[in-house]
Amino acid sequence: MQRPSFLKRGGALLFYLLLFLFFAAPVLRLISMSLRIPGGWGLANFQVLFQDPRTLEAVRNTLFIALCSAGLSTLLGTALGFLMAYTDLRHKKLLELLILLPFIIPSYIITLSWSGLFLQDGRINLFLRGLGFAGVNLYTRGGILFVLGIVNMPVVYLSVIHFLRKIPVDLDLAARSCGFSSWETWCRIDLKEALPAIAAGGLLAFLAAMDNFAVPAFLGISSNITVLSTMIYEKAIGMGPGAFPAAAGLSVVLSCLALGGTLLESGLVSSQSALESIQESREPRIYFRPAVRTGVEGGLFLVLGLLDLVPLLDMMINAFLKNYGLPATADNFSWENFQFVFSSTGVMDALETSLLLASAAGAICLVAGTLIAYWKLRRHSLAALLAERGAALAYALPGIVLALAEIFHWTEPLPGIKPGIYGTMGLLLIAYVTRYMILQIKGSTNALLAINPELEDAVLASGRDWRTLWRQVLLPLLLRPCVASTALIFISALTELTLSSMLASAGTRTIGLAIFNFQQAGDYNLAAALSTLITALILGGYGLTWLENLHKKGNRKYEFVSGTHQSAVREDTGA
Amino acid sequence: MSLYLEHINQRFGKTQALKDISLEIKTGEFIAILGPSGCGKSTLLRIIGGFLEPTSGVVRLDQQVYSGEGTMVPVEKRDLGMVFQSFALWPHMTVRQHVEFPMKSRRQKGLSEEEKEKAVEQALESMGLTELADRYPGELSGGQRQRVSLARMMVGLPSLMLMDEPLSALDAELKLSMRRVIQDVHRSTGSTVLYVTHDQSEALAMADRIIVMQKGQIEQVGTPRDIYLHPKTEFVATFVSKCNLIPGVWLPDGFQVANTDITYPAGDIPGVFRSKGFYPVRPEQFRISRREKGIPAVVTNRQYNGRWISYSLLQGQKQVQVVADPGEIYEPGEKVQLIYTA
Repeated sequence: MQRPSFLKRGGALLFYLLLFLFFAAPVLRLISMSLRIPGGWGLANFQVLFQDPRTLEAVRNTLFIALCSAGLSTLLGTALGFLMAYTDLRHKKLLELLILLPFIIPSYIITLSWSGLFLQDGRINLFLRGLGFAGVNLYTRGGILFVLGIVNMPVVYLSVIHFLRKIPVDLDLAARSCGFSSWETWCRIDLKEALPAIAAGGLLAFLAAMDNFAVPAFLGISSNITVLSTMIYEKAIGMGPGAFPAAAGLSVVLSCLALGGTLLESGLVSSQSALESIQESREPRIYFRPAVRTGVEGGLFLVLGLLDLVPLLDMMINAFLKNYGLPATADNFSWENFQFVFSSTGVMDALETSLLLASAAGAICLVAGTLIAYWKLRRHSLAALLAERGAALAYALPGIVLALAEIFHWTEPLPGIKPGIYGTMGLLLIAYVTRYMILQIKGSTNALLAINPELEDAVLASGRDWRTLWRQVLLPLLLRPCVASTALIFISALTELTLSSMLASAGTRTIGLAIFNFQQAGDYNLAAALSTLITALILGGYGLTWLENLHKKGNRKYEFVSGTHQSAVREDTGA
Repeated sequence: MSLYLEHINQRFGKTQALKDISLEIKTGEFIAILGPSGCGKSTLLRIIGGFLEPTSGVVRLDQQVYSGEGTMVPVEKRDLGMVFQSFALWPHMTVRQHVEFPMKSRRQKGLSEEEKEKAVEQALESMGLTELADRYPGELSGGQRQRVSLARMMVGLPSLMLMDEPLSALDAELKLSMRRVIQDVHRSTGSTVLYVTHDQSEALAMADRIIVMQKGQIEQVGTPRDIYLHPKTEFVATFVSKCNLIPGVWLPDGFQVANTDITYPAGDIPGVFRSKGFYPVRPEQFRISRREKGIPAVVTNRQYNGRWISYSLLQGQKQVQVVADPGEIYEPGEKVQLIYTA
């Protein structure tokens, strides 16, 4: 055995130090903050917190809203997942785009569009009141949980549909041959098989609802409905005496809820590992009669259109009006909002800041995340495994909590060292990289798992070195799937609100914060104009990748022919 | 009672998976559908099962139409059971729950609870699963899984049993013992068995009749002996009997091997071979000799198998396969003579 060189050991030490600094230390600092009391340590902060009825109210609100919205997401996501995975509906590509739209558009834009639709004196509410109904008020707990339910529905949908497609067709055919109809088969076999995936999806929606800051901030702050994430924000921004320890205490409470849920979820996911290696089947299993099929398709387009498109279109129309909620006539049409948005240096700076941050965070995550995934899978490196755990922890923590922890930690990361990055882009970049790294590690891991290690052994066995391995084999095969994760990180960071609401200062406002500030100041038209712009940008970006995929499909260059014995087993199934 | 297939055609988009298949299957027969992968045999099985509606043609049980002519009896209303290559066991159910499952369907409404229970016990017992009844599929070996699948298929005593490559996922040793199990199931239930396979030795060993398929069409139907000894087409001769097609000239009273003065008796070789100028010779019909006069050939490869030796030889431009007794050793490169021993 060769002794590891001094350089190598030094490098490893540095890596562990970075891991500690980025992932462990902020959390530890947060916990210690929550335990700090004048003149020592103790649980007094928590005592004070839980004597405050507002805290209990916030916990109750958080749990109630998260549970109900997760229920709504689960119901919608499962039903849609089943229809899309098993039936012979047409236009599935378009339907899926509509289903995933709430996932693509930032949640604060969706909130904004819904609150615009149900403006107190808006057309719908006037119409309803005219009919003698009470108007719809979204600035309530019901409104928050409704919007959250829609926003998080794609999470459940994605979890369920992939699992349903993985249930082998033979399992259904076997039940049919035992004398059960296709609907009985769905209830007795597929639904039962998919229960863990549905539960895991529901739990993810629950966690996402607890983590969400934008929706309760837009709908709850002005109407005094407090949940834990907005309460932490208010405490930390308020800067009153004892504000930070209180915020830290609340963060620990919220984190415990979130981490508990995450552990439960990973337990559910590992119980479904038996089906992991099976290929997805997109063949329809349930055939509708033509008339029924047309009806179901029409119904789906109607419902999804009402849930996704109507509020967004309403917001876009309002962006072109002098005042929010005016009738959409030629008299009221104006470019003013967009003119203001484009001429405002604040908005332009925010665009620049967000673009810069998202690009930098994406690039750093792409390189570091892929290397960590490679070390973890191929070298079985402990350091890489720890890095993944750390990144997973940073993602499992609610965003608002992570932001608070970053503030505490990076003002003085090591005793005596004060980098002075609070309020700068540097801190935001660190926070983004910490937050989104796990997405890249997971994406790159999946990309690597699709590559049989023998492909790499073959390069070395051919007498070539690791440079050739990366340049000629790994990079060409990994690039596309890895960059797909990077794109997700880029979009998330570009439109992010939670972290920047805590970490940004006057000079480093982000897009999300700019829209948030407009909304909080009552400038709905400006918020709508900027949101319209962002929505158009995002949809344009997705449209481009979609077009490129269409183009690529014709001449798919790389097919994996090695190590996929599963496909051989199912090759002669008749279709 | 007979199952009739009449002029079945199946198209998937532009590909014609089945071309004008007509067949009569008698009650209690063990039919093997044999062909290479992609020949349409699984599609045919799925049409008979009712999982797939044929593009045209009729499937009927005596006078009752199952598929075609505008009717399509759903799978669950047909009296059948099925086993799959992948076993298709439900991960969340125990062995007993698998076997009980078909008894809870509407098909078995006429039976009392005791009768159902008795049927389940009997099926478990006959497949040797009584001890394993409370296990989940994940805790079973490959052979045990396929026995669960068989028990599930036979428990309701369906008149038609469909088997889609049931042994393909098992290793060589298990394949042989499971053949006996399947034969026992057939014998004890008296059901009609439709057995899809690409393995000619399985078809030859178990079936009453074999249907050889290629490219969506039936090549030949017959008893295993018939198919093996008297192949009617080039494909059956090479795929089932592994025949060497020796080129030469057909004379009025025999066959003269090309470039020699050796003649073989005409026998009952079908017209296909006559018109193409071939004589089909199975590997065991050739004897290798150093001195006797035969067709000259050069040994290129030898594979020792214990009970026999397979030789590959080059005869002119063609590869010839010969199976010889284990005592006859010839070296690769050796010039030998091939003697036909009808």
